[in-house]
Amino acid sequence: MAHGEAAYVLSLALVFLKIGVAAYGGGWTIVGIIRTEIVGRAWLSADEFARLIAVAQITPGPVALNAATLVGFKLHGLAGAAIATLSVVAAPVALSALVGLIAAKASKRGGRLTEALKTGTIGLISMTVWAFAPSAASSYMSAGLAALAFVVSAFTKINPLWLILGAGALGAAARAFFG
Amino acid sequence: MTDTDSPDRKPGFLDVFGVFFGISAVTIGGGYVMVPVIQRTIEKRGWLDEASFYDLFATAQSVPGPLALNTALFVGRRVAGPRGFAAAFLGIMLPPFASILVLASVLGAIGEWPAVRGFLEGAFAVVPGLTAALAFNMIKKRRWTVLRAAMTMAGAVAITLSGSWAVPVFFAVVAVSWLMERRRTC
Repeated sequence: MAHGEAAYVLSLALVFLKIGVAAYGGGWTIVGIIRTEIVGRAWLSADEFARLIAVAQITPGPVALNAATLVGFKLHGLAGAAIATLSVVAAPVALSALVGLIAAKASKRGGRLTEALKTGTIGLISMTVWAFAPSAASSYMSAGLAALAFVVSAFTKINPLWLILGAGALGAAARAFFG
Repeated sequence: MTDTDSPDRKPGFLDVFGVFFGISAVTIGGGYVMVPVIQRTIEKRGWLDEASFYDLFATAQSVPGPLALNTALFVGRRVAGPRGFAAAFLGIMLPPFASILVLASVLGAIGEWPAVRGFLEGAFAVVPGLTAALAFNMIKKRRWTVLRAAMTMAGAVAITLSGSWAVPVFFAVVAVSWLMERRRTC
């Protein structure tokens, strides 16, 4: 049993290490990869993952980090939370340390690389959108809230947190009154 | 605001840790919300002016990782060396980690209450819209050429369909578009 446990913890670490390497373009870009890896391996169900994401976005801190911590905690308690979190930031922290040592002004010469990374990160965010878009079709309320969230955050400067909390309050009221 | 002509005392481990711990503890919403808050705070302290901050921010984006974390690491090192780097790491990481442990335990106890379940369902319902808006903004802000558009569409399809191969496919897409950018500019 202990051997199986160790292998499981190791694969948790490796999955998040791998995800951390590709974490370009901000947190939401890699939430789609996290979902594919975690739900694809049946470590969590799609519903459990959706609840984790809901919690991750109302907790302080970058959403992808929060998602990693929550997934680790759900799968393996405190140790899992620590392992998933440290794994997902291992590559970013190591590369940040390295880039600072080698070339502080790397970005000035990196115009082409920046463009190439933009191409890649648009691909990553597409994966995230693709992963979550079907859940907008699950009910009229979901569809309405998703459409509202899109319009507000694409065309206004309103902090998305208000949307998240407002939608949460609406959901709570709906459950409380209609079950 | 004030410029940094006067020789300020160099910030130490606890100063840097305190600043990032405070920002991380009260700012919900990830990098796009946190980065401007970091900028204003360290400018107010006289640690770094706005232009140098956005230089660091640009460099931080060349490294993978959450924007808020990378920016904090680069700023921490710039103002206080390796100790500042470590202080920024701990300051950014500890508040979410601790609040998640607390929140996850609380939700373990009350997560099945109808109102709590409803709240989480509602909070999740905005995610498809938020992520689609992020994609929309990335697409809108970019300077497009026919080649870039073709490569981006091909890359998006490849990455979306790649399942657990997404990470290597992502780097392949970046490598190919890097090569294509070079050929175009030569």
